[in-house]
Amino acid sequence: MSETALATPEFSAAGRPAGRLRRRNWPAIIAWAVVLLILVLLPLYLPPGLLSAGQYVMVGAVGAIGLTLVFGQAGQLSLAHAFFLLVGGTAYSVLAGETTQAGAERIVGFGWPPLLALIGAVVITALFGLAFAPVAGRLKGIYLGIASLALVYIGFYLGRALPALTGGASSGRNPEPFSLFGFPFTNEGDIALFGVPLRQPERLWYLFLVVLVIGYLLAAGAMRGRVGRAWRAVRDHEAAAAAMGVNVLRAKAVAFAVSAAYAGLAGVLLVLWYGLLKPDESEFGNYGLNTSIAFLAMVLIGGLGSIPGAVAGALIVWGSQQILTLFAADLGLGTALSGFSPTVISLYVYGLAVIAVVLFEPGGLAAIGRNTVAALRGRRRSDMDSSGASGRRSAPPGKDGK
Amino acid sequence: MTATTAGPGTGTTRTDVPELRIDAVSLRFGGIQALDEVSFTVRPGTVHALIGPNGAGKSSCFNVISGLYRPTEGRVVLGETVLPELRPHRLAALGIGRSFQNIALSMHSTVLDNVMLGRHALTHGGFLSGGFRLPWTVREERRHAARAAEICAFLGLSHVVETPVGALPYGLAKRVDVARALAVEPRILLLDEPAAGLNAVETADMAATIVDLRAALDISVLLVEHDMGLVMGIADRVSVLDFGRLIADGPPAAVRRDPEVVKAYLGTGENGECPR
Amino acid sequence: MTTFVQLVVNGLGKGAVFALLALGFVVIFKATGVINFAHGSLVLIGGYLVAISVGALGFPAATAIGIAGAGLAALLIERLLVSRSRLADPNSLALLTIGVDVVVAEDIFRRLGTTVPYLGAPWDAHPVRLGNITLFSTQLVALVVGLVLITAFFLAFRFSDWGIAMRAQAENPEAAALMGIRRSRVTATAWLVAGMLAGVAVVFIVTQDFSGIGLSRTTHAIAFAAFPAAILGGLDSTAGAVVGGLVVGLVDALSAQYVSFDFAKVAVFLAMLVVLVARPSGLFGTREVTRV
Repeated sequence: MSETALATPEFSAAGRPAGRLRRRNWPAIIAWAVVLLILVLLPLYLPPGLLSAGQYVMVGAVGAIGLTLVFGQAGQLSLAHAFFLLVGGTAYSVLAGETTQAGAERIVGFGWPPLLALIGAVVITALFGLAFAPVAGRLKGIYLGIASLALVYIGFYLGRALPALTGGASSGRNPEPFSLFGFPFTNEGDIALFGVPLRQPERLWYLFLVVLVIGYLLAAGAMRGRVGRAWRAVRDHEAAAAAMGVNVLRAKAVAFAVSAAYAGLAGVLLVLWYGLLKPDESEFGNYGLNTSIAFLAMVLIGGLGSIPGAVAGALIVWGSQQILTLFAADLGLGTALSGFSPTVISLYVYGLAVIAVVLFEPGGLAAIGRNTVAALRGRRRSDMDSSGASGRRSAPPGKDGK
Repeated sequence: MTATTAGPGTGTTRTDVPELRIDAVSLRFGGIQALDEVSFTVRPGTVHALIGPNGAGKSSCFNVISGLYRPTEGRVVLGETVLPELRPHRLAALGIGRSFQNIALSMHSTVLDNVMLGRHALTHGGFLSGGFRLPWTVREERRHAARAAEICAFLGLSHVVETPVGALPYGLAKRVDVARALAVEPRILLLDEPAAGLNAVETADMAATIVDLRAALDISVLLVEHDMGLVMGIADRVSVLDFGRLIADGPPAAVRRDPEVVKAYLGTGENGECPR
Repeated sequence: MTTFVQLVVNGLGKGAVFALLALGFVVIFKATGVINFAHGSLVLIGGYLVAISVGALGFPAATAIGIAGAGLAALLIERLLVSRSRLADPNSLALLTIGVDVVVAEDIFRRLGTTVPYLGAPWDAHPVRLGNITLFSTQLVALVVGLVLITAFFLAFRFSDWGIAMRAQAENPEAAALMGIRRSRVTATAWLVAGMLAGVAVVFIVTQDFSGIGLSRTTHAIAFAAFPAAILGGLDSTAGAVVGGLVVGLVDALSAQYVSFDFAKVAVFLAMLVVLVARPSGLFGTREVTRV
């Protein structure tokens, strides 16, 4: 016999003690507050080179969150991330920029306020992602990954074919610097924090930090709720997802679009970071397949589906490259085209890391982190996690994106 | 139609359980005739069992009803709605909940998370409203989580709601699958071999649960099952398939004595080369 | 009209090379279920070995070394990485090959440094005139070599013990194992064959007639066209791989002529998308049936 009686649908609702289901995890909240505080204070102490490296990592993290959502949570691989970076960067440059005449070429701009242009760019990128629905909805997993490769090549072509928007592959165009209600994220104007003047590097750091935190919370919140459950169901068992009322085609298309939107946002940040939008001259440039692969490496190393893992992955993949470059001279590395340049070493590092993750810890850094926390707390959580490690799935998700 | 007040507390009277009619359904895969003009009706509020030897077409029939396969001919009608005209994901909103023969849950997600998936058609909100944790989204989430917890309690899962399904013993995972189907608030519950892989105690438990939930919710239950004890013990009506044809349809006692059924079971008892 | 004939012949020649790549790709997929993202690396390894040995040994010997080296490299990937991780599913293994590709390709680029060597194919840059049609000899040789190898492959696939074992295993791994087919030997051979086909392909790719540039990142990028070729035809169809390769070659040649050289790179992938939307499992691929 069952323990409890069950009434028909009208639920007893409102007054039910929901507290049991939502316990606050104070140690975690305090840990996050400390991390955030450190990130706020860092620009006051870091030299410009490291500041710039940190900004680059945050750009990578925003993009990686998008990829870990679509691949780790919804089980759909996108290798089109580089394309969506380009779309986002271009859309921002066009929306925020002014129309100018560069030689024979008329470069189009709408002159929108930068904040509006940023939001517009994200929306446009999401729509590009949604336009891929006929493919994204029908294919699954790695197959979608290969199909989405096509977008990278389309981006490569369009970037060169539409100089009115992108400025062309030879010179590119300068994006309008970001500003918020008249406050510029440049060296203009004097403001200071604890006596340290906040100039462009510091201001961009805070801008990127705010964007990353918003993107992070949004992803974590959505994955905790209805959308996240639907995506995971699509990943784990399409027929069951459909039986529970999930429109599988739509879920896949939306997941792809959301990931595109994150990539688009990262693309906006990227042109602000470079101070330049420049489409690639060859297939292996900034918006080429190698960039898509770098994002994939981030989410694999971080642990598929884990949002904090995606941030950590960005730190390793894009951070290592920046930091090696900064300290290339001290480390005695070549900067020439040949030899062990910082870029080459960073590629070795993340290439090998990807191999190691697949072979030894499919849960990536997220799983290592969870196991460490569990070990520190001395709780026997390992028996729960082992169910993931021994399974054949490649994607033990972070606990619903947390 | 029976209409009772169920359970203590805030039960309501239920008069909305329609009948499910399987109407001359045929299904062919290439040259294989999986179903051949099968017709039967699941009356409101009954436990209806669909049985047959291996390869008889039970699962095919089940998958036609739940929208995974489109019948080559014939139709499935719930009340006034012709089901095969709908995409599979529309069935949940119509009040059709189903469980799966091989547990089709998200192994890394918690029990509660899995059961909450059943609320999908009853809830709203997309990426942004969920992501921003808007007040009404959070309220809705809590309300439905409470109901999901209630359903878990009913199935004896209260102590494991926060446990990942992958860490549960098989018998409990099987109950999570049923809980998820119930979370749809079905008017008709489709159970695909709910006792497959369970031991005798767990099977008896499952039988009791099916009887209980029918009594508490007043819904129809259609189950495909191998375990004859379970079927004969709880079914109000039994339909028997053999080689894709309906060979008997009636109360358990009558079906058990039906010579064709006896022949089908004894004659092909070991013959199971067809895919299920 | 003469241009068109010229384009078709050149396209087919290129297509034969893509077919060799796609065929290897499909063989690996059939044998192990793995989508091999490291195929471009196999091409590079073969090319690199030819490039460093051609000066001392001459083209035929260097090519033999390149082919053997690419095959061996594929075998090593299979033995050391793919077969070791029995627990991992094919999807994870595909991701693993991405890691392999990043490391191997980057290492070859590092070794090449600023050099962009051609492989010294004797037929390169000797156009042939037939009436008023000019044809690239590389494409002609590629077409012939491709046809011979593809025919040999299909004969082997059809009649040799390996081919039969391989098809049996792709059809039903458990039954094949029960029949005494040794899984590891079949998969190892599959990777070896695929690597050798890549080693042959690179000799044609790295020519003035085909890519117009020596061994470099461009070679790796061109090898990526094996993806659309294999997907177009259907990932689990060897015949599809050949057709897919030829389609890719033709689309490439025709769109380069009639639209633009830049567009050709995209056109190949657009063709793949069109096929995927119409037939998600490719032209000749097996449709997946949902089982619950």
